[in-house]
Amino acid sequence: MENNNKTDSSRILNPLKFRAAVFDSMLSEDTGYSNYSYWRSTIRTFFKNKAVLALVVLIAAIIVMSFVYPMVSDVDPNKVSLFITDWNQRPSAEHWFGTDTLGRDIWARAWYGVRNSFLLAFCIALSDVGIGMIVGAIWGYNKKLDPIMIEIYNVITNIPSTVYLVLLAYIMNTSYLTLFISMASRGWIVEARFFRNRILSIRDSEYNVASRCLGTPMRRIATKNIIPHIISLIIMEAALCIPYSIGSEVFLGFVGVGLPVDAITLGNIVNHGRASFTLHPYQMLLPTIILCIITVAFYVIGNKFADASDPRNHV
Amino acid sequence: MSNNGHTSPKIFSAQDVEIKFNLRGKVLTALRGASLDLYEGETLAIVGESGCGKSVFTKSFIGMLDKNGSITGGKIQYRDEDLTNYKTEKDWLKIRGKKIAMVFQDPMTSLNPVRTIGEQITEVITWHFGTEHEQAKKEAIEILKKVGINDAEYRYKQYPHEFSGGMRQRVVIATAIACRPEILICDEPTTALDVTVQAQILNLIRELQRELKMTVVYITHDLGVVANVADWVAVMYAGQIVEYGTVHEIFNEAVHPYTKALLQSMPQLGIKGHDLYSIKGTPPNLFKEIRGDAFAPRNADAMDIDFEEEPPVFNVTDTHYAKTWLLHPYAEDYRKSLDERDAQIKQEKKAAEPFNYTDAEKLLEVKNLTVKFKLGGKEFRAVDDVSFDIFKGETLSLVGESGSGKTTIGRAIMRIYNKVDGQIIFRDEPITGKLDRQKKKKLHMEMQMIFQDPMASLNERAKVDYIVSEGLYNYHLFDNEKDRLEKVENIMREVGLSSEFASRFPHEFSGGQRQRIGIARSLVMNPDFIVADEPISALDVSIRAQVINLLNKLKRERDLTYLFIAHDLSVVRFISDRIAVINKGRIVELAECEELFAHPLHPYTKALLSAVPYPDPDIERNKKLLVYNKDMHDYSTDKPVWTEITKGHFILANSKELEAYRKEIEKQG
Repeated sequence: MENNNKTDSSRILNPLKFRAAVFDSMLSEDTGYSNYSYWRSTIRTFFKNKAVLALVVLIAAIIVMSFVYPMVSDVDPNKVSLFITDWNQRPSAEHWFGTDTLGRDIWARAWYGVRNSFLLAFCIALSDVGIGMIVGAIWGYNKKLDPIMIEIYNVITNIPSTVYLVLLAYIMNTSYLTLFISMASRGWIVEARFFRNRILSIRDSEYNVASRCLGTPMRRIATKNIIPHIISLIIMEAALCIPYSIGSEVFLGFVGVGLPVDAITLGNIVNHGRASFTLHPYQMLLPTIILCIITVAFYVIGNKFADASDPRNHV
Repeated sequence: MSNNGHTSPKIFSAQDVEIKFNLRGKVLTALRGASLDLYEGETLAIVGESGCGKSVFTKSFIGMLDKNGSITGGKIQYRDEDLTNYKTEKDWLKIRGKKIAMVFQDPMTSLNPVRTIGEQITEVITWHFGTEHEQAKKEAIEILKKVGINDAEYRYKQYPHEFSGGMRQRVVIATAIACRPEILICDEPTTALDVTVQAQILNLIRELQRELKMTVVYITHDLGVVANVADWVAVMYAGQIVEYGTVHEIFNEAVHPYTKALLQSMPQLGIKGHDLYSIKGTPPNLFKEIRGDAFAPRNADAMDIDFEEEPPVFNVTDTHYAKTWLLHPYAEDYRKSLDERDAQIKQEKKAAEPFNYTDAEKLLEVKNLTVKFKLGGKEFRAVDDVSFDIFKGETLSLVGESGSGKTTIGRAIMRIYNKVDGQIIFRDEPITGKLDRQKKKKLHMEMQMIFQDPMASLNERAKVDYIVSEGLYNYHLFDNEKDRLEKVENIMREVGLSSEFASRFPHEFSGGQRQRIGIARSLVMNPDFIVADEPISALDVSIRAQVINLLNKLKRERDLTYLFIAHDLSVVRFISDRIAVINKGRIVELAECEELFAHPLHPYTKALLSAVPYPDPDIERNKKLLVYNKDMHDYSTDKPVWTEITKGHFILANSKELEAYRKEIEKQG
């Protein structure tokens, strides 16, 4: 406490300043203002990591390429050659990644494959997250549904997915729709349980109780009070769903119940390449690289987005 | 006196400490040159609103600042060690816990939930002293006994969740004193606890301090606690110590306008029927550079100079100093005129007449209300056979500790639970069970609720405009968009907020402002009856006064009736007409406000009253703590009944107790 009054002797003060000032009550109210915005902070935190930025650019490039290439290129990915010299060609200026056992251009097939696989995965992600969210919301809001839903969840998740994926694909003819149904019939319940847990934790928070006191109808509680709070989770879950679906499609192709051989998907190309892997390993190169990039990138992006959307990480 | 009134040697000194945080690309100056000295064996309390830098200041003493913060100026010295040179965790561990220990607000977060409490204390001892495990265990049990935990050997093996809140805080204190630190910093040690437990914890810390000769630093915003424990008080505002002095000097002769304002806004010192003194606005945003006196924009009596130059420190006495221009010789006349005005205002105020119950009409009747919850398969009664009436125009307060069922009663009246037993009658119509749409709408328009936590009760992702007009949308209570906007604007003005705020999101507001938005949301329905569920307990002292004044103003202007739920008897006295005291789901006593304070009968009410902190050091230090124990009652054969013992004074007691109470009343005359 070495305080003294020496500071003010060095300064000249105006005695007239020692009078009451005008009080502005709005000035006092505004001091607490902060310019935090949830979405702005989320996106800034998300892109702060340069690796994430690179992956997003890469994924965007792959997707754009897979849609643009079929439009501009005149190479037919299904064109089978009858000349043995066209088969199993090494990479060259004409065929950048060589040709497969039937003389089809692998570079062209890979982009068609990415497009088809991605569209399929996107549809599955949409149905899984979409149905899962609706069911999860109803489940979370109705305590009475709990015992039934838990049983359904147990039954569906405890049967190994391969068993009924194979069974469904066997009963129905192999087609995109079959594949879609067999994969979408399972994913929704996992998502539903995930959303049910999240909704349960915000259902009883005070602002929701307040809405009930005001008599807010269910529809508006869902659209205004619940969905805006879990929208970042929805995006994250959808992002994580895509690599899983692509992976499943590849796996089904691998066990032989995937799509018909004339459908061009990443699964079929990888499978085809695998058959001749010992003699012509380069045939698997391009499709597997793209598959790896898509899978890893979506996982990383999904997880990083989950981190970025948590307000605790907004520093 | 060289030591400025301190009798023991100085052990710690912080000089002009400046701390900056990087937050989302901006720099926040949390401490703007704060200085403080600690002397052996003393008790210092640091007070101020939240966001004034109290916690940051003390955390810097033990190197526990968040990662994005750093000390950018000043010096922190403990004995001969310069702590500003400490860089690594290893350096800090020489001091942290061992010499300077800290007790935090929430006992649950400072204990590890998956390890027994004994292990956690033993670990501290072996870690710092390298004691053998067996020896450390013995010491740990000793310490547990010392902090007042019965059956310490058995409790040693238990996990934190097996302890109640107060017991947990005792364990946290045990871990903090395990190394016999010289300085103990208690950061809001009792804020999360009930009043009766709070008083016990404060007593415990005081006893330990005497025994271990520690220096204790309290960080608190509760001036009642300060009056109880502190020898010295430092008042902090906007990252600076603005006033420092002995506890009597601060409470009786405060000079800084901020200290005065804090003291005046205590509801205990308010006079019924008049507005409580309140500090306008919120603490300053420390992202901006502060010019002049930081408190000036909120100080209605600020001088021109306060906006231009930062005041230096002026000594009032040897032990008392303050940082305000009011102490400058030029300001002497102005200061005198302010003092005279304050004294005059105090004299003119007279308490309002008590509420007239003789011809009051019943608005709400609660009859034998019971609410049951299922907890782990077992049924438990949160509210057990409770009956009371609420008259039109009164404020009935429901006071009890956490878990007593007071919020449950409020929510049962608001029809939030699907199933309750008993009857609730509003305007002669029962409102329990299923109702048709028309009746529901009518109830939503007549009955509204205000919530406790302003942080949780507003939808973060919706604009204030939507939040306030939610009720209007639900029942389409407006003609067109223009009419709706007008209604929102009017209600915002009524709660004292600028109508421009409507386009912002809730996170841009401070606690007090958010609470007012919550009030606006319920008022937009034009209700007659409001259940206010602890609307002020999550707020700072200064902000409390704003909200209490607003509630009182609305009551006068709109002729409202309140059911006010609270845990703090002292706040309730200022605003309520009648008080009901609730314990473990049952109302034990109900009487008119002054009657209850003058003649409390039930032992639980007496215990609550004795524990309430009062912002006056002389009263606080002489008070006697009463402890309530439910074994006091022998209800095995003689069951308690809800009886009106004198007119308007109800009590829950059996015939034997009633007789004793009657005698007590006679004796008091």
